[in-house]
Amino acid sequence: MMAPSSASRLGRFAVRGVFWREYLDWATINLPFYVYPVNVFFFTLFFFFFAAPARRAIVANLAVVLPGSGPAMNHLRAFRTLWNFAWTITDAALYKLIRAEFAYEIVGAESLEQLGASPSAIVLTAHMGNYDLGAALFADKFNREIRMVRAPEPDRQTAEHLSSSLEQTGAGAVKVDYNTGGALLSFDLLNALRAGEIVSIQGDRVDGEVAQVSALLFGTNVQLPNGPFVLAQVAGVPIYPLFIARAGYRRYQVIVYEPIVVVRTSHSREKDIADAVTKWCAVLEETVSHRWDQWFAFIPIFSPDERKR
Amino acid sequence: MNGSDKPGPCFYFSLLRVLAALRSGDARRAENNWGEACLAGIAIYLISYLFFAHWVPENLMVWQRTLLLLLLVFFVWLFWLVVFYVNSLVIRFLQLCGLLRTIPIRRAQSVLLGISASAMALSLVQGGSWPAEIGAVWMISVAMNLTAAAILAFRDDSSNEAE
Repeated sequence: MMAPSSASRLGRFAVRGVFWREYLDWATINLPFYVYPVNVFFFTLFFFFFAAPARRAIVANLAVVLPGSGPAMNHLRAFRTLWNFAWTITDAALYKLIRAEFAYEIVGAESLEQLGASPSAIVLTAHMGNYDLGAALFADKFNREIRMVRAPEPDRQTAEHLSSSLEQTGAGAVKVDYNTGGALLSFDLLNALRAGEIVSIQGDRVDGEVAQVSALLFGTNVQLPNGPFVLAQVAGVPIYPLFIARAGYRRYQVIVYEPIVVVRTSHSREKDIADAVTKWCAVLEETVSHRWDQWFAFIPIFSPDERKR
Repeated sequence: MNGSDKPGPCFYFSLLRVLAALRSGDARRAENNWGEACLAGIAIYLISYLFFAHWVPENLMVWQRTLLLLLLVFFVWLFWLVVFYVNSLVIRFLQLCGLLRTIPIRRAQSVLLGISASAMALSLVQGGSWPAEIGAVWMISVAMNLTAAAILAFRDDSSNEAE
């Protein structure tokens, strides 16, 4: 067996390294709950300074989402976003390791029941709130398997840790696939949908070499993944926009919108997809504008040229 | 996870659980109270901060003292991170010796944390001035909490015997 290089040893401690995830697991088992507020505050402060690209991305995204907000205020809002992120991953670890109790309320219960009962569907979500916990909740509530598609993690060990965490959180009912741009995953997902599975995809940002579609979000041009829409059209399944927002200490809100159906008209496939994307953007815009402090899109979504307009 | 609106147990510390029981509430232990988490966490942090601030020399210039007190904010956090790690090793050692096996590690950690914070609070009380008041409040709270824990233990024993 090869010994790990010094670079990979140091990589453990990088901002997106596996060390921090392992520390969180350790803290969940070893620390009393009342230590968390202070600990989460200081870790947020630490990452606010050391995760500079993420902080800058949040500030840049907020400049578009909240046009009247100045840079200084957006930095404070970025802190709040990172603080919420710290709490959501802490909550996910608490559920995974000690099965801590969480209260939740459902907004759009009818759509959620429809989703639970549908033979197969696509759940379209965003990097928002606690999507890991949400997948586990859904699998638990409806006794259904769910297949989650995630953007690949830059660190291999972190990716492995996240995959095993998600599968542990979902008690085996949550399977994780990484969106790597290859056609193989698309066929896999199509087969999963045809076999009656539920596929969950994050549709608020493009990461890596994946197929994209132009859309208008907050009046600004953005690139979004077109995979979920093509998949829905080919498989003939509805898309359910679903978000899991943090509503307080150990409290969550499951927000489900009416399904988006990607119709297949005889005119133009692109036009059909564009219509569905427009509907998704309207939902995303509404959700993000209300819960901007839980939008964990840690890369710039809006291009700098667009932001200047 | 649960989606019910039924009020369940909502306190961790014995004193608040006894008060809840007196008001016909649920006295079982829970870790879902944000106010309790913040209050206890900040109190421990404040006591340790005041304890270490006591060691900052008084003959320094104002800006040096201010800088040290500012750095101390982060030092205290790092101090606790190290203490938690050392405590976890102590707990594992005690568990190997057959002690503290029946309670989760984080509860055992809570006991050690309480002892450390109380030792610091006692030092503050002995040091006088306004931090002594904060140390005294902590000591009284701990004493009341321990008494409440004894009441709860006695009550649980009585109810078990009654069953």
